[in-house]
Amino acid sequence: MPDDELIGLARTGDARAFTELVRRYEDTVYRFSYKICRDSEAASETLQDTFINVYRKLNSFDGKSKFSTWLYTIVTNNCLMKRRKRKSDLMEESLEAYDHPSGEPGSLPRQKPVHTPETPADVVIGRELKSLLEEAMAKLPEEYRVVFTLRDVEGRSTEETASVLGLSVEATKSRLRRARAFLRDQLQPHLKAHPEILS
Amino acid sequence: MKCGDVYLHICDHLDEDINSERCRQIRQHLAGCPHCTEYLKSLKQTITLYRALPPPRIPAGTHRELFKTISTLTTKAAAGTPKRGRKTRKA
Ligand SMILES: [Zn+2]
Repeated sequence: MPDDELIGLARTGDARAFTELVRRYEDTVYRFSYKICRDSEAASETLQDTFINVYRKLNSFDGKSKFSTWLYTIVTNNCLMKRRKRKSDLMEESLEAYDHPSGEPGSLPRQKPVHTPETPADVVIGRELKSLLEEAMAKLPEEYRVVFTLRDVEGRSTEETASVLGLSVEATKSRLRRARAFLRDQLQPHLKAHPEILS
Repeated sequence: MKCGDVYLHICDHLDEDINSERCRQIRQHLAGCPHCTEYLKSLKQTITLYRALPPPRIPAGTHRELFKTISTLTTKAAAGTPKRGRKTRKA
């Protein structure tokens, strides 16, 4: 049964339809929550809160946007609320430096070309690299993390990503640019030292 | 197009609109600029690595907890609306 039919049934109070919706989307919601909230406890909490929200607000979902967009929005807001209680890792202004990487001496990589694999399946992420990737991501302000995760990791469109955050497409692109440049710079020393990772 | 301009728009090149005029100019620039080519490559590598991270799995306890919550929510709602309630249907 297609999602919109299932949503329609769930709106009439069909418990089985709603349960099926949860089943379909629990992995997506958990994965995204984990990546945005950055720890499994917060992700588990967000997973619960998100579907409770969905249940309560299903009647206000107008179907104009994709169901997944709506879910991503709820997760983002949930994580953001939890996050506000903690300290943000990087100030947004410091990321604006990544608009002009060419102005920074030494930012132009001059190492030998490395082959880029076509699919992630070619890459095995070791423990050290995994924690490096996670640490770099944790330093990004949440909005930037959401943009990078949705657009580059989950493969969502720029438009959908923009709509999750309530940003313009241009603002989304500029955040994406900065997030990519920031993460790239964080990983660069490691990649230079271990060119075999992507060979 | 200068290197600085390529840096500003290099990511558009990673996005879908590769046939735009700007992207055509970027491709042209990249063909003659090893530094920008290198930079673009390292950005793509960064994305590749993040995509290659194994997705987190839902802990079994979290999954159970979620469906318990859902069941409680939907049962409560059904109890509140007798038309859809189980008892009326069974009777
Ligand atoms: Zn250049």
